[in-house]
Amino acid sequence: MNKLSFPRPRQSEIGERLRSEVREFIDGWHGNRHGAAAFSGFDPEFSEALGKRGWIGMGFPKRYGGGGYGLAERLVVLEELLAVRAPIFAHAVAERQSGPLLLRFGSERQREEIVPRIAAGKCYFCIGLSEPDSGSDLASVRTRAIKVDGGWRVNGAKIWTSSAHRTHYMVLLCRTAPASEVRQAGLSQFLVDMKTPGVTCRSIVNIAGDDDFNEVHFQDVFLSDDALIGVEGQGWQQVTSELTFERSGPDRFMSHMGAVEEFVTALKQQPSAEGARTVGRLVAHLSTLRRMSRSIAAMLTAEQDAALHAALLKDLGTCFEQEIPETLRLVLPTEPEPGASDGYSAALANVILHAPSCTIRGGTKEVLRGIVAKSLGLR
Amino acid sequence: MSEETRDMLHEAALRIFADKPKNLWAVLQESGFDKTLLPESKGGAGVSWADASRLLILAGEHAADALLADAMVGHWLVDHAGVDGATLPTVASSAHSEQIRLGRTRDGWRVDGKLPRVPWGGACTHVAFVVGSGTAAQLIVLSRDAAGISVTSGRNLAGEPRDTLVLENVVPAAVVAAPLDARELLSLSAILRSALMAGAIERSLALAVEYANLRVQFGRPIGKFQAVQQNIAFLATQAAAARAAAEAGSEAIDEWLDGVGEPLSRNIAAASAKIRTGEAAGQACAIAHQVFGAIGFTEEHELHRFTKRLWSWRDECGNEAFWSRELGERILAGDPGQSLWRAVVPMAKAISGAAAGAAR
Ligand SMILES: Cc1cc2nc3c(=O)[nH]c(=O)nc-3n(C[C@H](O)[C@H](O)[C@H](O)COP(=O)(O)OP(=O)(O)OC[C@H]3O[C@@H](n4cnc5c(N)ncnc54)[C@H](O)[C@@H]3O)c2cc1C
Repeated sequence: MNKLSFPRPRQSEIGERLRSEVREFIDGWHGNRHGAAAFSGFDPEFSEALGKRGWIGMGFPKRYGGGGYGLAERLVVLEELLAVRAPIFAHAVAERQSGPLLLRFGSERQREEIVPRIAAGKCYFCIGLSEPDSGSDLASVRTRAIKVDGGWRVNGAKIWTSSAHRTHYMVLLCRTAPASEVRQAGLSQFLVDMKTPGVTCRSIVNIAGDDDFNEVHFQDVFLSDDALIGVEGQGWQQVTSELTFERSGPDRFMSHMGAVEEFVTALKQQPSAEGARTVGRLVAHLSTLRRMSRSIAAMLTAEQDAALHAALLKDLGTCFEQEIPETLRLVLPTEPEPGASDGYSAALANVILHAPSCTIRGGTKEVLRGIVAKSLGLR
Repeated sequence: MSEETRDMLHEAALRIFADKPKNLWAVLQESGFDKTLLPESKGGAGVSWADASRLLILAGEHAADALLADAMVGHWLVDHAGVDGATLPTVASSAHSEQIRLGRTRDGWRVDGKLPRVPWGGACTHVAFVVGSGTAAQLIVLSRDAAGISVTSGRNLAGEPRDTLVLENVVPAAVVAAPLDARELLSLSAILRSALMAGAIERSLALAVEYANLRVQFGRPIGKFQAVQQNIAFLATQAAAARAAAEAGSEAIDEWLDGVGEPLSRNIAAASAKIRTGEAAGQACAIAHQVFGAIGFTEEHELHRFTKRLWSWRDECGNEAFWSRELGERILAGDPGQSLWRAVVPMAKAISGAAAGAAR
């Protein structure tokens, strides 16, 4: 075994049983369909329906409304939902990282009050890390929380915050002590109700025309003492463990599967050797990535540090996603057109327009490779 | 096999490779690594294919010749055919049925045709191959010194013998119903090549990291330059993916032979192993050579021992294009109304159904 080996994932019988239940549920879902949208839609009705089935926060302990399942079972449900572009974006961040964060570092009150609502599909989160002047260099964040009587006063601004305009809470990373020699010190995380006075949100339209990410301003925002998550000054360590969840899931390599499905449908009408080869190669990548992701789930279950593995997987997975339109477009000569009646043309347009973001969000590929280089002893 | 025995075997192999004996192959044989897949009663260690692949990853890491993989499969097949005295059996996994004629005369079987690029085809004692598909598949074992076999020697980029055998009216040592058909044998051999490749890729990475920390230019180790770091980190992602794909492939062999998995010819992990490691190999070689600059381009430096094997192995037993097309066609030929995802990730029930059919 070496650093780069991914342990053999566990095959979950319960998970496989769930798979057929999830498929049945999806096939019978008559609500909103988001078709080939590259990134899943935001649909509280769907989220609540999933919550009712017990398919959100499956890994959370039962007493916090979770299913008490393992991560392997959660992965089965998640990949099945991603595979059909089910509209899971409302609860996805809360279920993937904020819930686990609160369970691990949050106060008992935070856990009791919020985690069950996440599991019910009724409570959505956004992640307040990036700032106008702090992207890859996250430790340079300038949003400040100053200790005041009974709480904290926050001033500053976050940017690129996905879904900030339609989520209930933000997990905010900010400075609680001036930057010292150790740049990562003096950072803390807070639980911020998006309705708190002084929090304002302005949406930013992306190149695909979506209203997805935002600028969020904090002007003299008062947060009570119990808004602190975990330990003051430990924000960096807490974020790092959260990012492992953010970087290791199938959402990091399946976001463009919609286009691949449309491609395959079109290819069945006009088969070619090149088309078959392209499908085979994509499937080989996909199945390797799936295995690696399931392997990380096994590591996390065994409470092993998987930060390096998550960085490797996110780099591989997002490069794979990004390559999908480049690969497909050369096989079937179709001009991409957003919203076209031809499903493949519309899906192709969608993934071309979203592809640049894959290797930026959640840590750029350069930053991830920096993490990998460091672990190899190169920095 | 217990975890402990498995670790011991691994340790023992590691020690041998690290020693770099001049007669590596003889030492491996003496320790029985070529027979490791056979049951203990037959002088083997009864390891699983996944364990055997782990040994092959080690072999690849130490630029050992592919012979170990081919001899492992050779022993497995020769034993199945009940042929004794094979001290160096090899396998002709790329045998094409149309190039082989198997006939039955009054005095028994005769084989004619051509076995192209057989690993150690000239030096082996026996060569095993399979013709035909499905249940009609037959396993043929030839004794290398049988009359009617002529050899044209050839080599791969790494100098490993790849000899073409022309067969004229050869009396085979055995012809029996095969435990797997020709396509499955090719798939199995491709998976073992993937394991060797995963090992060689990991070594290219290790060499690159080591050199980047030693070689000083512009007053600092080149590993301090971000351009170099980024390339090597990318190489690391390829190494990780290659190992994961090779391991998944080898586990697919065990699951199939244990009757719990799909047949190799229908297994996605089996086809994916060679596709993914083959792609990683090309990337790994390019980056490793870039990191080493001119010194890596010399005969004297050891890097080429790994990269030449990678450039060879990726084209043996079917390259990425071959397996991609094979896999893609199979998927596209499925139920036209079914999504790609559901073809790739079948329901568990469907899996066990297929397994029941495959258990032979
Ligand atoms: C669709 C989308 C959704 C997002 N959602 C969120 C969210 O919900 N919450 C949130 O907090 N953030 C979010 N982000 C922001 C994301 O985390 C940042 O964009 C990312 O961390 C990069 O920061 P940046 O955009 O400022 O780029 P920069 O850091 O300015 O980088 C620009 C370029 O320089 C390179 N670079 C920078 N530093 C180095 C270095 N040291 N070495 C080598 N190269 C370097 C980068 O790799 C990149 O190529 C989102 C981004 C996108 C695109």
